[in-house]
Amino acid sequence: MISLEYDPIFTDAIIYSSLLVLLSMGLTLTYLTTKVPNFAHASFATIGVYLALIASRIWESSPYVAIPIAFVISGAVALALYTFILKPLIRKGASKAIQMIATLAFDLILIALLNITADYITKNYHIISREFTLRSYDGLFMDMPMILFVAPILIIIIASTLIIVLKKTKFGIAMRATIENPDLSGVVGINVRLVYGVSWFLGGGLAGIAGALMSMWFQGDPNLGVFLIPSIFAASISGGFTSIYGAIVGGILIGMSEILGTRFLAGEFGSWLIAYRPLIPLLFIVVTLLVAPRGLAGINWYRIRRLFGARN
Amino acid sequence: MALGTEIIFIVDLLAIYAIYLIINSSLNLEFGYTGIPNFGKVLAVGAGAFVAASIPGRILANMAGIEGDYIGNNISIITQVNVWLVDNTGIGFVVFFLTLGIAAGVGAGVGLLTAFPAIRLRGDYLAITLLALGEGVRIVGNNFTPLAGGTLGVQVPDPLSWLPGELRFPVATIGLIIIAAIVLLYTERTVRSPLGRMLRAVRDNEVAAESLGKDVTRIRIKTIMIAAAIAAIGGALYAFYVGGTIAIAYDRTSWTFWPFMMILIGGLANNKGVLVGTLLFVTLRKFIIYFKDSLQPFVPFDVVWLDLLLLGVILIAVLLYRPQGIFTEKPTKTISKENFPDKEKG
Repeated sequence: MISLEYDPIFTDAIIYSSLLVLLSMGLTLTYLTTKVPNFAHASFATIGVYLALIASRIWESSPYVAIPIAFVISGAVALALYTFILKPLIRKGASKAIQMIATLAFDLILIALLNITADYITKNYHIISREFTLRSYDGLFMDMPMILFVAPILIIIIASTLIIVLKKTKFGIAMRATIENPDLSGVVGINVRLVYGVSWFLGGGLAGIAGALMSMWFQGDPNLGVFLIPSIFAASISGGFTSIYGAIVGGILIGMSEILGTRFLAGEFGSWLIAYRPLIPLLFIVVTLLVAPRGLAGINWYRIRRLFGARN
Repeated sequence: MALGTEIIFIVDLLAIYAIYLIINSSLNLEFGYTGIPNFGKVLAVGAGAFVAASIPGRILANMAGIEGDYIGNNISIITQVNVWLVDNTGIGFVVFFLTLGIAAGVGAGVGLLTAFPAIRLRGDYLAITLLALGEGVRIVGNNFTPLAGGTLGVQVPDPLSWLPGELRFPVATIGLIIIAAIVLLYTERTVRSPLGRMLRAVRDNEVAAESLGKDVTRIRIKTIMIAAAIAAIGGALYAFYVGGTIAIAYDRTSWTFWPFMMILIGGLANNKGVLVGTLLFVTLRKFIIYFKDSLQPFVPFDVVWLDLLLLGVILIAVLLYRPQGIFTEKPTKTISKENFPDKEKG
């Protein structure tokens, strides 16, 4: 039996970064199509957290069962936000700010519904449904929590599938064409609405998966989204908010700096710093906007693409 | 003489109405007139509240010669300060207005700080940055104890402590209404002045405004600063009214989202809309809270969430079916020429 000595902080960092990659990929996907920053995105993940709770505690199976269910349900909720709220607003010519407020209102509705669900679960099943963790429901692999391997591997699979779909399949190319120029894509016969709908479904679904995974390591709570949203936006913005690759790098960057950066700074300056960890994503947003407003996608990726001689 | 429940209900409603009027008129100046989506309104409000939490208490304790750790022994120090204020009413008022002034200054400073990294950005990036920075206020307030006592909160000295108990809240409410009226008059005059027309020009067509020689970035920074100063006064007044500050109360929903909702219901870019929208919202909210307890036995969850759900649905319905709100924006009447004889003749 191999027993590896490991510091739980690395587990934290790896899992958290993987989740941020998933979340910011989803957010970037929805932003690319409709150009609305979706403030309800983090609550799509909270839906996944609660599905994992239901799967493991009420159905008494593995929390991993919740992953596909979360993908479908969170995706459907995101699709509903797009179809019933954002699409009519865009058709009526509402401004960006109004659309953003609509996503904030939708987030509020989701938070209310999640809290109602949490209350209902506690009342009917006598299960702790706030500040809970499902760590004990996760299996072990090589004496380490399974999620430590599942999260990054799943993210690699999802990210590469997404990139292959976008680059190689007909629908993916139609999707990229729509992102590039919706009017022209409409003219050549691409169903723009369908493309938008699919990207919202995918974006929400990815957030749902992230939530289901998150429940197995971090604490779950109906108000999780409020605390998560600055980190997701920081990851997306430092990634440039325009490319899936940027979202991946941004997610890793923010995840690692939030957890390892806080640990390092607390070691240097004292443990009082730990409480200020939520300020790190804010710092990243401000610095990115001041130094490189187009994010990582604005500088590095262009150079790297040229370096490898890839076509634009 | 004890006040009846109805009177307490109305007094409290009017006080909250006045405070939200101040904050909403500042948001209307930013969002309605200038088109800056300030999703970080809570930042300025919180800054004002933290000024009220940290400064007047220390000044007054120092003047009254009360010793002790301001945060650690906060309740006993503030109780002593309030007793001392009974005989020193004048000083109490001076410190009160001084605090409002400092709050306005700090608010303007915070406005400048938040505007600086983001103001040149497009609307959505600006909104994200402001929203994220708005989250920062609670984190700092919660952890940096000298500011507002961290998670325990602090009490704020009461300049009206000389009044008998039952009169304190009605008098405070009258004071708040007067301050709110002054703020509304100020914003009303501002938006009718040439500056107000310039703000709309910046909102409606940035390029055109720039081509006419207006420094759009500067105007937007200035607007954010003025609005943040007003909102900070609102935050400080709220802290004085409730007699305390706790960082956790300064969340995005209460101080960013509700103000947006109120001005959107009333109709953007007109102060009539602010008056009516705020009244509708505050009254609705108050009634929901009032009837909460009687509804509680019928639902298997906390009624608070029904409240959020209802308000979220109302806002989305307003955005979808009545996007212009109750009152639509009309071309404003400019101040008549006689009021500016010298300037016009040149």
